[in-house]
Amino acid sequence: MENKKFIPYSEISFVTVPGKATRFFRKFIPWQIYRFVVLNWKMMRIVIGGHS
Amino acid sequence: MSTIVVLGAGVSGHTAALTLRKNLGKEHKIIVVSPNSKYQWIPSNIWVGIGRMKSQQVTFPLAPVYKRMNVDFVQAKAHTIYPEGDAASVQPFVSVTYTLEERQGETENIPYDYLINATGPKLKFEATEGLSPEQGNCNSVCTYQHAEHTWENLQKVFGKMEAGEKQTIVIGTGHPMATCQGAAFEYVLNIAFEVRKRKLEEFAELIWLTNEYEVGDFGMGGAYVRRNGYITSTTVFTESILAEYGIRWIKRAGVKKIDQNVIYYENLEGEHLEQPFDFTMLIPSFSGVGLQAFDREGKDITEKIFAPNGFMKVDADYTQKPYEEWDAEDWPSIYRNPSYHNLYAAGIAFAPPHAISKPMKSKNGTMISPTPPRTGMPSGVIGKIVALNIADQVKSGLNDHRHKASMAKMGAACVVSAGYGLQSGMAATMTVFPIVQNWKKYPRWGRDLDYTVGEAGLAGHWIKLMLHYLFLYKAQAKPLWWLIPE
Repeated sequence: MENKKFIPYSEISFVTVPGKATRFFRKFIPWQIYRFVVLNWKMMRIVIGGHS
Repeated sequence: MSTIVVLGAGVSGHTAALTLRKNLGKEHKIIVVSPNSKYQWIPSNIWVGIGRMKSQQVTFPLAPVYKRMNVDFVQAKAHTIYPEGDAASVQPFVSVTYTLEERQGETENIPYDYLINATGPKLKFEATEGLSPEQGNCNSVCTYQHAEHTWENLQKVFGKMEAGEKQTIVIGTGHPMATCQGAAFEYVLNIAFEVRKRKLEEFAELIWLTNEYEVGDFGMGGAYVRRNGYITSTTVFTESILAEYGIRWIKRAGVKKIDQNVIYYENLEGEHLEQPFDFTMLIPSFSGVGLQAFDREGKDITEKIFAPNGFMKVDADYTQKPYEEWDAEDWPSIYRNPSYHNLYAAGIAFAPPHAISKPMKSKNGTMISPTPPRTGMPSGVIGKIVALNIADQVKSGLNDHRHKASMAKMGAACVVSAGYGLQSGMAATMTVFPIVQNWKKYPRWGRDLDYTVGEAGLAGHWIKLMLHYLFLYKAQAKPLWWLIPE
C-alpha cells in the first residue's frame, strides 16, 4: 500500500517502509505459496514444542 | 465414576471438555456450564466487524455437538463455588442460574469431583466512562453481536466518506490497563485496507490509540525478530505496517472517558488530552467474571480462591516484586488452585502472577501499560493439558501432573489480519518462543530468536483463513478433530 500521507519530521516519516520489490513479493502468488509452507512449518514447531 | 464440571465453553473450556471426553470412558460424567448457546471463534470477529463474514460463519450451536459427544450441556451462568460442600454434604458443588429460555432464572447446584474454571474474561466496559457499546459512543468487536453492530455503524462512516465528508477513525485500547491489543490492531489494519479498496483514503484520518509504551508491545513486552540480516524489534515492524497503511499512532495513552465525539485520555507525561473522533472501537479492560466461593460453614472464601481482579489463583508465584525480579518460574504450569486440589483454572480465567510488559506509571500515578494477553493458542493449550491431567488422575487415582504448559515455556503463533481477500489479502504472521520472556535462559533477547518470526504477506491471510476453518471444524468435533493441534 503506497502511503500518501507522509509529512516531513512527523513521527510517521522516520519509519522503515517496504519498497516496491517487497510489496510485489508479498502478493506474488508462487512466492507466497512457498512462504505459506515455510510459515506453517515454523508454526508447527512452536505448537509441537509448546507443551509436554 | 467421576464428575468433571467445566465452566465456560470458549476456546479453553470447550477444548478441555472435548479432550476429557476423548480420554475418559462413558462411565465418567462431563458437564459443561455456559451462559451462551453458541460457540464463537473470536479471532474471526474482526472480519464480522468489517462485513467480510456473517456472524453465522464464526458461530455454531453448542448443544448438538455436546449431545453427539456425550457431554452434558447446562446453559446457565455459574456464580458460586462450594469447594468443601455445605452443611448438608461434603460433596463440592457449583451453583448456577439458567439462561436457557425454558428455565430462565432457575438455580441448580451441580456436584463435582473436579472443576475447571474456564469462564474467560468479563468485558469490563464500566471501568471506562462512556465505553460501553450500549451507550452508543464507542464500538466493540469483542463478541459476534458487538461486531455485527459495529459493521452497521462502520458502513454509515463509509457512506459519509463516499459523500465527501472527512471522518476520523480511532481504534485501540479503551482503558489504561487494557490488553488484547492484537484484536484492535487487526481491526484498524482491516479498516485501512477497506478504506483503500473503496478509494476513500483522502477522506479518512486513521488513528491507532494504545496504552503500550511503544507500538508492537502487544502486552508481551514486544519481541525481536531476525530479518534481512538485522535483529529488529516488533516496534519497527509495527510502525512500518502502520505507516504503510497510513495510520497515525498515539501511544502511552490511558483512556479515561469517552463522550459522543471525544476520547479523553492521560499519557505517561501526566497530560490530560482529547482526541475527537467520528467512529471508534476501543478494547475494554478485562476482569474475572465475578465468581464467589464459600466454605462448608458458609464463610466467604472468595479472596482465598480468587485474586482481587477476579481471576482464579493457581500454582503461580504471586509474591509482589519489582519488574527487575520477575522470573519465568513465577508462571504456573498445571493451573491448579493451591487451596483446593480438584479446582483448576484454564485460559483467561487464571490469575497471572504479574504483567509481561514493564508496568508504567504516569506522573499522576496512573498505571498505563497492558496487562498480559492469554487468548487464543495459550488458552487452548492450557485447556488441553488441564483436561489431560484430570483424565490421568481419574484413571490412575494418583495426584500426578504429567502435562505442563507454562507460558514461560510455551510458544505462541499469532496471525494478524491486515486485509481480507484470497488474492489481495494480507496478514502479519508472528511467532514467539516463549510467550513470557525467560531472561535467565535467553539473557540477550528474552526469547529464542530461532523460533521467533515476523512476516507480512498474502500467505499470512491464507493461514488465518485456514485456521478459521480448521478450528471451527475441530470445535465441532467432526471426524478426526483431535488431530488438529491447539
